[in-house]
Amino acid sequence: MPAIQVKNLCKTYVRRPFLGAKVEKPVLTGIDLTLQSGQVLGLVGESGCGKSTLCKVLLGIEPITSGSVEIFGENISGLSRTSWKELRRKMQVIYQDPYASLDPRFSVYQLLSEPLQIHGLYPNKSERKKYLRELLTAVQLDPVILDRYPHEFSGGQRQRIAIARALALKPQILIADEPVSALDVSVQAQILNLLKTIQRERKLSVLFVTHDFAVARFLCDEIAVMQQGKIVEQGPAEQIFEHPQHGYTQKLLSAVPSVEAAL
Amino acid sequence: MQAPVLQVEGLQVHFRTDLGVIPAVRGLSYTLPKGKVVAVVGESGSGKTVQALSILNLLPPSARVESGKILYQGKNLLTLRPKALRQIRGRKIAMIFQDPGASLNPVLTIGEQLCETLCAHQKISKQTARLRAAKLLSQVGIQEAEKRLNEYPFQFSGGMCQRVMIAMALALHPDILIADEPTTALDVTVQAQILKLIKDLQRQNAMSVLFITHNLAVAAQVADEVLVLYAGQCMEQAPAVDLFKNPLHPYTQGLLNSLASVRQKVEKLPAIAGNPPRPGEVLLGCPFALRCPKALKKCFESCPPIYENGARRTRCFLQEGK
Ligand SMILES: Nc1ncnc2c1ncn2[C@@H]1O[C@H](COP(=O)(O)OP(=O)(O)OP(=O)(O)O)[C@@H](O)[C@H]1O
Ligand SMILES: Nc1ncnc2c1ncn2[C@@H]1O[C@H](COP(=O)(O)OP(=O)(O)O)[C@@H](O)[C@H]1O
Ligand code: SF4
Ligand SMILES: [Mg+2]
Ligand SMILES: [Mg+2]
Repeated sequence: MPAIQVKNLCKTYVRRPFLGAKVEKPVLTGIDLTLQSGQVLGLVGESGCGKSTLCKVLLGIEPITSGSVEIFGENISGLSRTSWKELRRKMQVIYQDPYASLDPRFSVYQLLSEPLQIHGLYPNKSERKKYLRELLTAVQLDPVILDRYPHEFSGGQRQRIAIARALALKPQILIADEPVSALDVSVQAQILNLLKTIQRERKLSVLFVTHDFAVARFLCDEIAVMQQGKIVEQGPAEQIFEHPQHGYTQKLLSAVPSVEAAL
Repeated sequence: MQAPVLQVEGLQVHFRTDLGVIPAVRGLSYTLPKGKVVAVVGESGSGKTVQALSILNLLPPSARVESGKILYQGKNLLTLRPKALRQIRGRKIAMIFQDPGASLNPVLTIGEQLCETLCAHQKISKQTARLRAAKLLSQVGIQEAEKRLNEYPFQFSGGMCQRVMIAMALALHPDILIADEPTTALDVTVQAQILKLIKDLQRQNAMSVLFITHNLAVAAQVADEVLVLYAGQCMEQAPAVDLFKNPLHPYTQGLLNSLASVRQKVEKLPAIAGNPPRPGEVLLGCPFALRCPKALKKCFESCPPIYENGARRTRCFLQEGK
């Protein structure tokens, strides 16, 4: 059973101005997409094509206009609140900007505890601390940082904390929306390696959104290419890179700057 | 070697903040050869923008140039009077920024803005200015330029706005174009067009370009020479081909090794350990020492000087005596 199965998904943002008629903006126009269990699916496409909107719909942040989304075979439309909460626990997210995604008022301990509290896990404080220390070790951070605050950390360290937070509930699906594009060049590789290790160890199904084809090639088993609200091509990464079928994929790939190509 | 059109010597720029003094540029020296593209690469906070803003005295009020010289046509731009600097800014040395949308005035048409730039520096009639403006637009690859002059920035895409910025920068045939991350906000296909445009115009007009980017692949695409910054200092400056084929500085080596490639899939990326220094962090010795796999004892004690060897300059003790 696929981890995520999207069928003919449409999403139209509707704005109702104070005066005048409502304005409709179709952003996703018939998306078909499959994330196989235990795989990494790279979603690539240019800015504004709808990648983040698709993530928001999958996470239930934005309602579906039409079409369907199934997560482990369960249709997310019309789920009761409790069933959705259970399902959502299996699916966590990492965002692009670790500066914006971690509330500066909370210590690392509080940031990592929050998801556990919501789901009533590890109520015993010393067990919780022990678990959180393990989590920090898994993202290659020193467990002593539990009492410190986000501003004390660099971008790469913050993104590790964000990853630890996403892993706290032992999810099966990870949605990562451009998780390295805001990081310093010299730390991107560390975080990419970490994501790969964690994905393998925990057999996670990952939807990895990126506009960087090189990063996609490193991390992804499958690639879906999105253009203006539609998936124009999905296939095994090797095939997409070596034998892109769609003209748009070919155009994007030929525009990617690369050190090798320039020499 | 070509005579330099711009020469930066021992530039030091500090910011005064609530957290104390932050040295942003720490003794930077480099040259921009005439008619060449020099790419300035480095991570966020390495001083790429601050050093560029120093050239045209566009630094924010909290910043101060502590020492150094920036020589252009025999004059030190850092001590030039405001009036003399205004003569140079825009006319001789032009600058474009990352976010093209924010640099254009939303309430004026593209034509009005281009004509304003042209008329501000030259005595020409409105009509001549308009004709020149249309020609400039088509020169940067905008179709139906005549008609497009009457449109407002919001009617232009990001890539088109950046073309307009380039057109404005080129309007007065500057000797030097400083471009700060001009394609970072753009999509790869548009980026490829803009890079080609800058290259073409640079060749046609024998212009020198200081091209700032954090993307090594972009630098490889446009640059004749590359300047690698780290913690406000030059780590390495070299002809582009030499630098990419045979980087001498451990930081440059580490960066190039760690890049993922579109051409092949690798199992693990050889990443550089650690994190770049934080703003204001006190650095004894080589700024890269804590992350450098080749560090020697002395690297932690004193900062290496720049060693010159032919066309290459490298700030690393390992180059001593080579
Ligand atoms: N207005 C400011 N006030 C205080 N410090 C500043 C200010 N602007 C820049 N700095 C500091 O100066 C240093 C160099 O910044 P600069 O903007 O030149 O970096 P950059 O290499 O252009 O980075 P980026 O790739 O993010 O554009 C950094 O440590 C930064 O924090
Ligand atoms: N809340 C919103 N209301 C209206 N339009 C939106 C909203 N969020 C995104 N959009 C628009 O939807 C399109 C797709 O945006 P997004 O999903 O963020 O793209 P991507 O992540 O691929 O860059 C863009 O045109 C964007 O301006
Ligand atoms: S000077 Fe020393 S620490 Fe610095 S880059 Fe060279 S070997 Fe490494
Ligand atoms: Mg997005
Ligand atoms: Mg900058």
